[in-house]
Amino acid sequence: MNTAILIATVLICLLSLAALLIWLERRLLGIWQDRLGPNRVGFLGLGQVVADMIKIFTKEDWIPPFADKGIFILAPTIVVIAMLMAFAVVPFAPDTSISNLNIGLLFFLAMSSLAAYSVMLGGYASNNKYALLGSLRAAAQTVSYEVFMGLSLMGVVLLTGSFNMSDIVLAQKEHGWFVFSQFVGFIVFLVAGIAESHRLPFDLPEAEHEIVAGFHTEYSGMKFGLFFIGEYLGVALISAVITTLFFGGWLGPEFMPPLFWFCLKTFIFICFFVLLRAAVPRPRYDQLMMFGWKVMLPISLLNLLITAALTLARAS
Amino acid sequence: MTGDSENLAALVIYFLVVLGLVALILLISHFLGHRRQDAKDYHPALNEPFESGVVSVGDARLRFSAPFFLVAIFFVIFDLEVVFLFAWVIGFEESGMPGFIEALVFILILLAGLAYLWKLGALDWGQNPKRRLGRVAMLAAEKAASAPTRDENTPETL
Amino acid sequence: MSIKAELEAEFGLPALHFQACADGVTTCWIIREDNAFVLRFLKTLGYVMLLDLSAIDERLRQHRPGQPAADFTVFYHLISFSRNEDVRIKVALSEDDLSLPSVVDVFPNANWYEREVYDMFGVNFSGHPHLSRILMPSTWEGHPLRKEHPARATEMEPYSLPDDILAREQEALKFEPEAWGMKRKTDTNDFMFLNLGPNHPSVHGVFRIALQLDGEKLVDCVPDIGYHHRGAEKMAERQSWHTFIPYTDRVDYLGGVMNNFPYVMAVEQLAGIEVPARAQMIRVMLAELYRIASHLVFYGTFAQDVGQLSPVFYMFIDREKVFDIISSITGGRMHSGWFRVGGVAQDLPQGWEIAIREFIQWLPSRLDHYQKMVMDNDIVKRRTVNIGDYSTEEAFAWGITGAGLRATGFKWDYRKERPYSGYEQFDFDVPVGSNGDAYDRAMVRIEEIRQSLRIVEQCVNNMPKGPYKAQHPLTTPPPKDRTLKDIETLIQHFVNVSWGPVIPHGEGYMAVEATKGINSYFLVSDNNTSSYRTRIRAPSFAHLQMIPLISNGLFVADLIAIIASIDFVMADVDR
Repeated sequence: MNTAILIATVLICLLSLAALLIWLERRLLGIWQDRLGPNRVGFLGLGQVVADMIKIFTKEDWIPPFADKGIFILAPTIVVIAMLMAFAVVPFAPDTSISNLNIGLLFFLAMSSLAAYSVMLGGYASNNKYALLGSLRAAAQTVSYEVFMGLSLMGVVLLTGSFNMSDIVLAQKEHGWFVFSQFVGFIVFLVAGIAESHRLPFDLPEAEHEIVAGFHTEYSGMKFGLFFIGEYLGVALISAVITTLFFGGWLGPEFMPPLFWFCLKTFIFICFFVLLRAAVPRPRYDQLMMFGWKVMLPISLLNLLITAALTLARAS
Repeated sequence: MTGDSENLAALVIYFLVVLGLVALILLISHFLGHRRQDAKDYHPALNEPFESGVVSVGDARLRFSAPFFLVAIFFVIFDLEVVFLFAWVIGFEESGMPGFIEALVFILILLAGLAYLWKLGALDWGQNPKRRLGRVAMLAAEKAASAPTRDENTPETL
Repeated sequence: MSIKAELEAEFGLPALHFQACADGVTTCWIIREDNAFVLRFLKTLGYVMLLDLSAIDERLRQHRPGQPAADFTVFYHLISFSRNEDVRIKVALSEDDLSLPSVVDVFPNANWYEREVYDMFGVNFSGHPHLSRILMPSTWEGHPLRKEHPARATEMEPYSLPDDILAREQEALKFEPEAWGMKRKTDTNDFMFLNLGPNHPSVHGVFRIALQLDGEKLVDCVPDIGYHHRGAEKMAERQSWHTFIPYTDRVDYLGGVMNNFPYVMAVEQLAGIEVPARAQMIRVMLAELYRIASHLVFYGTFAQDVGQLSPVFYMFIDREKVFDIISSITGGRMHSGWFRVGGVAQDLPQGWEIAIREFIQWLPSRLDHYQKMVMDNDIVKRRTVNIGDYSTEEAFAWGITGAGLRATGFKWDYRKERPYSGYEQFDFDVPVGSNGDAYDRAMVRIEEIRQSLRIVEQCVNNMPKGPYKAQHPLTTPPPKDRTLKDIETLIQHFVNVSWGPVIPHGEGYMAVEATKGINSYFLVSDNNTSSYRTRIRAPSFAHLQMIPLISNGLFVADLIAIIASIDFVMADVDR
């Protein structure tokens, strides 16, 4: 019964969070770009979220006749499902996760890489050249950054000795936040995380200045909305996982409940993602790839080696 | 702490709920969505893929060039290798020093492979933009060399 | 030796005929078969750039004293930077044999200009690599700048676009790779042919480039223009000299009164009007303010096109301040059309300098901030340094002017070399780049903002007293103060307001250093209330023609950076 309540709460929170994040991003960008952002509908413009929802639900359910119908519908659902599933293993507070899997971290990696299919299939099924370019970019980019995304986390696993997310949080109680001992791992994971959720500066699959809207050029209505929700869920997920793995998860001073600390830390990272979008230009496709293969991959391999060596040295 | 089977069951239930939810969202939008009454509402351009407002040449089903394929191959190679490291990391304490040395050799081989690919130029998608200084000058020189002489039959007055 | 003497020495007098023009540019009629030889000869003398190439339909023209008989005239306008001199070469054509040899071999940028002449006048250029319409749709009937072509919508059938015509027009727009000598595939892979534009977020208007892509790499591309063509040159033949002024504003729509500048100066040249010092300085000040506004738009969109989303908002705030100043003086914002033949529309309002002084204080620190944010950014540098570069010689060959020319390290600014409207009194520098790449083009423009600020500051400090408009009967609107005192002035005022002034016949030409390069107006007056032929030389037209040369072999993303760095507006290209 407890699980049922938890599932319901998590889903409601996540979906409204995704919608709220759209509003948050627009307001934050507004502040950082010297303008207002949506501030007309309701308190602080929060009603905008509702208005957008109504609008997107009543849009025509349009499937282009030239698209592969089945895959076209399937593609946007994959990212939402994968992102929501990945949240199942995130511990929001002590003993509060939908599924406390002992291979939680691997499950998260698996789910986040599944999300790549969404973009690839969506772009390919659209039978549109811009979408095709977008999906090719997405495929190459996610596949490249996938390799060291997992590697960058292995330092943390090595120090904890477990793939279980709750164990990793608890290990930070004694060990201190892993961001200090695994700083390189944190940086590499952050970069990979941005690339995986294809947010600026790594939003090449949908770079509107180059390929119009990339993989979702032909999407509209709720199917486009699902891509959108998926992207914001991705931002929230990466922020939550960074919090869990590197910033002590729910750990924090006693005067506030653990959930508060978890949410606060995650929120800070979400804002950081938005700030990136406001601040950084977009590298070129090949520069992004080269950065991944020539810089990030060797660094994450070396990081793992050094962590292992130091751990061994300390043990003996 | 809950048992493994319970965790798995929760995951399955959660998956089903998520699946239902996404289906529900799509269904709601399908039924709430705006509908066009008859064929007259359909502009012919609606049935064409968007390509900046101009009709396309060919479609988006093409044979791509090699770089994309290379990335896929590298991914398969490196990601598979990385999976072995996952196993080593989780059994790190048990495997101890011998394990570390083996992993070290393994990682060095991986890095050597990467270095080889790097040197081969397989990781360079781009070109190094080269300056084309003087191309026009060269062309002009060519033209000047082969410049025809003024035709004798050209009328001499306006 | 003067160019006239040199031409005579080389080609002999019977084959040449010199014409005196109001603008003082050496104008020489030649035999049409000679055109390539003469141009090649002039090129060796230092006339390295074909600035303009167009035609005149002479069939209805009545006043052509001292000119050979011609139904159509094709003219070439060359510029020499080393001699700081222009020369205009004219070729007479008769109606039943409208063709002449192409000069693409001598000046590669003649390509588009000859296509334009073919499109507008139906003149054939033998030996042209791809003579087809360029501004009008390929389905268009007739040649718009011929005198028999209707100039008003009411002279034609009401326009409609039924489905079958729509389908035909769409089909006509379809890109044919074979027509441009492109292959559809190689043995191992297919090329993707992608229409980038006319409806695309970063082509700055309705510009279309058909791309031949191998993966993401650009194998070849064909720019396609004409989607913004509004027939500004044709309209000039119907509007009075005065009422055409606001149309010029809309040619380079970011340049505002900068477009009025060459036009009114060319009219004044024909009419022989001396503009008072105060009016000259008001003109300079407004033009420089518009230059700042235009460059700020460039700066913001440049950053945006390499993926930096925020700077454009900051720069638009600054631009808004420029427009506040402009609207406090003129009442207008982007298209104030404030210049008049003989001066400006009104005197400066009281307290005009306060907001300008504030702005001069405000902008420099903001520019320092943008420098750190955009130009010093490592990713911006990686995206733009050594991208889309060309040499000074290439710039000459393709008719590149303005910041695009100075970015190659060639220090040539119309305001410095041929000062007009009193530019010689101002103290300012001409910034230059060194690589001629996208980054340098941006840097030059950014430095130009600071230099324009200096000029504006000097205007504020030294604004002369006196009239804001010349006392001359041909100015527009005509002088009114004595209209109710004597009947002659009243009649003259009435006629010049209702019909517009009659400008003496002749050919006038003025060019300015506009926001995007050299913008010039070549006016032919046939002693009438409107222009007989108005030729607008717009800088962006030439710049777009060069895109394939500097972007082939790069990536789609580079192409976007190159397009952003060129700084064009489509109205300036298509007119």
